[in-house]
Amino acid sequence: MTAAAGAVLAARDVHKAYGRRRVLTGASLTARPGQLVAVVGENGAGKSTLLKILAGTLAADRGEVRVSGRLGYCPQDPVLTENLTVDQHLRYFAAAYRLPSLKRAGELAGMLGFGQYRQQAAAALSGGTRQKLNLILALLHDPDLLLLDEPYQGFDWETYLRFWDVVDDLRARGKTIVIITHLVFEAARFDVLADLADGTITCRTPSGEAPGVSN
Amino acid sequence: MSATDLARPAAGPPAAAGPAAYRQFPTAWRFALRNQARNRLAGLLLVAFVPVWYLLMLVIAGHRPLSFRLYATGRVLTVDAGHLTLISAGLNSLTIIVGFAVFAAIRKTLAFDQRLVFAGYRHATLIAAKTLAIAMVAAVVALYTAAVLLAFWRPGPAEWAAILAGFAVMALTYGALGLLLGVLVRGDLEGFFLIIMGGLMDTFLQNPLGNPLANKPVLAWFPSFGPMQFAVGGSFGHAYLWGHLALGLAWAAAFAAGGLVIFRIRTRGLTRRREPRDR
Repeated sequence: MTAAAGAVLAARDVHKAYGRRRVLTGASLTARPGQLVAVVGENGAGKSTLLKILAGTLAADRGEVRVSGRLGYCPQDPVLTENLTVDQHLRYFAAAYRLPSLKRAGELAGMLGFGQYRQQAAAALSGGTRQKLNLILALLHDPDLLLLDEPYQGFDWETYLRFWDVVDDLRARGKTIVIITHLVFEAARFDVLADLADGTITCRTPSGEAPGVSN
Repeated sequence: MSATDLARPAAGPPAAAGPAAYRQFPTAWRFALRNQARNRLAGLLLVAFVPVWYLLMLVIAGHRPLSFRLYATGRVLTVDAGHLTLISAGLNSLTIIVGFAVFAAIRKTLAFDQRLVFAGYRHATLIAAKTLAIAMVAAVVALYTAAVLLAFWRPGPAEWAAILAGFAVMALTYGALGLLLGVLVRGDLEGFFLIIMGGLMDTFLQNPLGNPLANKPVLAWFPSFGPMQFAVGGSFGHAYLWGHLALGLAWAAAFAAGGLVIFRIRTRGLTRRREPRDR
């Protein structure tokens, strides 16, 4: 698989069906260090299914997914524990990732304008703030590959812009980011647009060219 | 190529050198305990339901003498029907409170636990921490329930200890059942129904006052049989039936084992092997 050489993510011929409904029928996607990839497609096209399979939280029926380096996955709906505070979530995941400190959490909280909520229970957070916590939990261990399923749902404009600052910082440090998005106007931000339709992926650059190594 | 050919790393390993700031077991244990303790409805049931239930059952049963044959020893005991009913009521309230508290806590955090495992939490650590938290909650609730019983009846210290032991095993059993149902059933309603109806049937049928056939062999197959026999034997017959207490523990162990196996299956990722990236 020549195209996958040096890739952080290489998915090939991924198939997935829910009963008789075939969602993915041979989807392939490759991403290299430092690339920002958008997965786009209509509602029900299978974008979230694809991301779950890439993340390893859902089994594919057939196909191959190879990931190198540390992986971070931010699910579409925040997966939190209502009774725990933001800080307790951060400590729980710091234990999971075996982190030596919460320094990175503090940095991310600062970048996303999140610091004042750290003592609040998740149940008391607004939708956008829950999503910030959801995102930070995926970023806490500074992963090499980040899979984000519509990560800015509920964000206000200021937070949305801060989110892109975080993404720019990650890219500058060679991290690979795959984002499911519906926002057409932000297409120019991405290196690769992966169109998911009829169960397969067609990759192009924002200018419409076929990227050499992305599919 | 099959799906089992998927090769991926988990979200870990450590991002930086140096000892982890938060050890996995104490962190998981502390937060599991906190999560259990913050169930306000269970707390309300504990504070309000237990004494009211004792009082109600005592009023209904009265203080008349009741003769029955204790299944475990074969001896016919003549006891105060109200006192016997207090034991049965205590066991019953434990089934509901502990079963409900553990079921709700496990159910609410299942997806979160899956995310923790995906992030690198060791399964065995998470399972051990949750088990310990459940056992501690069960023990505290049993102690409280046995203590409230003293407001209605003052047995001797040894007799009360037998009741406490029976209560503790009962709480462990239904805590383990709450764990099993929490990872097994699809909806909240099914879980609550199974715990409430199961607990009612289980404990009601063991009480000879409510069920004249309470010494039928089939009842030995019910989870509350062992704790009920131990508590009644110890408090009325000066017989400490350790084998029956162990039988209750066996039920607890079986429910817990089933629940933890399903918990492990439902929270596991698809990690096969790591491909560490050169850094």
